[in-house]
Amino acid sequence: MRVLHISWEFPPRVIGGIASHVYDLSRAFARRGIEIHLTTCNFPGAKEYENVDGVNVYRVESYAAGDSFLGWALRMQKNLERSSCDLINLIKGVDLIHVHDWLSGVAGIGLKHLYRQPLITTMHSTEYGRRTGIHNDLQASIHEIESWLCGESWRVITCSYYMRDHVSWSLRVPEYKICVIPKGVDVTKFNFGFDYWQTRNRFANGSEKILLFVGRLVPEKGLDVLISALPNILSSGVNAKIVVVGEGPQREQYQQMANDYGLAHKILFVGYIDDWTLRTLYRVADVTVVPSKFEPFGIVALEAMAACCPLVVSAVGGLNEIVDHEGTGLKVPMNNPDALASAILRIIRDVGFKDWIVNNAYQKCAWNYNWNNIAAWTAGVYDTVLHEYYTGSWKPTN
Amino acid sequence: MRVLILTWEYPPKRLGNVSEHVNTLAHELVRRKHEVEVVVLDDWRQGFEDVYGVHVHRVANPVKTHPMASMLTYAVTASLPFEAESSNIVYYHKQQQRSIDVIHAHEWLTVYPAIILKHAFNIPFVLTFHSLEGHRCHDRFSAPSIAIKEIEDAGMWESNEVITNTDWMRNEVLRYYGSGHAGKTNVVWPIGEDWVDHVVSVYQKVAK
Repeated sequence: MRVLHISWEFPPRVIGGIASHVYDLSRAFARRGIEIHLTTCNFPGAKEYENVDGVNVYRVESYAAGDSFLGWALRMQKNLERSSCDLINLIKGVDLIHVHDWLSGVAGIGLKHLYRQPLITTMHSTEYGRRTGIHNDLQASIHEIESWLCGESWRVITCSYYMRDHVSWSLRVPEYKICVIPKGVDVTKFNFGFDYWQTRNRFANGSEKILLFVGRLVPEKGLDVLISALPNILSSGVNAKIVVVGEGPQREQYQQMANDYGLAHKILFVGYIDDWTLRTLYRVADVTVVPSKFEPFGIVALEAMAACCPLVVSAVGGLNEIVDHEGTGLKVPMNNPDALASAILRIIRDVGFKDWIVNNAYQKCAWNYNWNNIAAWTAGVYDTVLHEYYTGSWKPTN
Repeated sequence: MRVLILTWEYPPKRLGNVSEHVNTLAHELVRRKHEVEVVVLDDWRQGFEDVYGVHVHRVANPVKTHPMASMLTYAVTASLPFEAESSNIVYYHKQQQRSIDVIHAHEWLTVYPAIILKHAFNIPFVLTFHSLEGHRCHDRFSAPSIAIKEIEDAGMWESNEVITNTDWMRNEVLRYYGSGHAGKTNVVWPIGEDWVDHVVSVYQKVAK
């Protein structure tokens, strides 16, 4: 089987979550013996062609003037599409075209018709979800493109049941076209030796419990809820500190909020940090808190589970499906600082309970969110689609 | 010869002069026993029509909403139905053991589908410039204007032959996009009895 993946980002070009997803997934496919070709945008210093653990990566000129992000994204995809045509002619055809979000989907639609091969789309997120509604023409056109893309796709893959429902109603996609396959995490990446106290002392005093928050500082990630919960935690006699990894437009506001509570010394904004430091931080943190208000999947939860850090999450979106309440973590209603505080206190005070959920969470991670299994499930979708394609009548005529 | 014409205007849709130009061209080609497929963007009249021997395929832009005054995003999303319909035409003829000899694109609006079809099916394309962004737009450093000029430039590089309607226009095209293209830039005055014969002679230069 020969599959063409198209993605607008691939390491070293990393802008959102799609890059690492495609990186891990395509390498897992290559390990299964599926021939993967991937076209993506170029990046300063990255090679035009590269073989990354068996994945053939082609980086395409992506600079193009446009009148907006949308204008650029559409023109960039014409470049991707043109180079993919040359690639497909060179390797004498592909069996399937797999695209990720509308940022590579428009190129996929064209290739589907030009070569008459099935198109599979992974919807990582939707414009409707990102903006909590459609508010202007720019967003409306992206929304329309997403709906069109799902209509053109043979199957749509989403990362959670929540996203399946969301894609289904917001983009008007029949549910039978949507397959749910979670994202994955590599647990072996979190298993390494390091100096525990040296890392810990970088971020907190010895007596402080570290509450770790990882995410962009935007309203839907809900850091304000965690900050509101902090006075409750401290007044219960637990000396805790919030460590915030990530940047975003709301940072000033959250800083001001901490000042107003008189708790500026109990919140540390560390900004973006490198992957290795982040993994050590997961290992030394006492609780990872994910108080999101909208979350298609929640990769932070997986990383915490893989690093054996106990989890408190709000029961929304994909988080609701990753975490089993009192099994692999604690779930609280969203936007509820009191519930969040008591859940955090419960984990900090009950060490036996903490060990139980951490152990369960690690086991779940190692099986459910294992890239080899995810590649196998996705390959199952490929097989189904190809079977339908071969028994159908829509084919190129030579 | 089998010609695939890509255009944004074909009667009854009429934005400017191109509509009448393409209409005359198509019917004169059919009169000379050439086979003509026209793919035209027409949001209100989708479907196939045989107009006295001219096969007209009207397609619609699947994305209806666009940011205010963004001709650019409208044009780039419109490229996809052009590609899809043209692929159907190419596969239809392949089934009959025939092939398309030449693609004739009009204006920057159809440059993208022409480029993509050229790369996918290895069909040469001829590009006619009826006007240029540099003349139309007086805000020449605005982002959309720069983008459209880039697309016109890509059309100059990727096309196998370029046609202009006047000597003045040829000079302007070469002034904007480089005199290196002089060798493949033709002038065909679209008047008189035999101008379509001149267009056919340009087709014959590139057809395999």
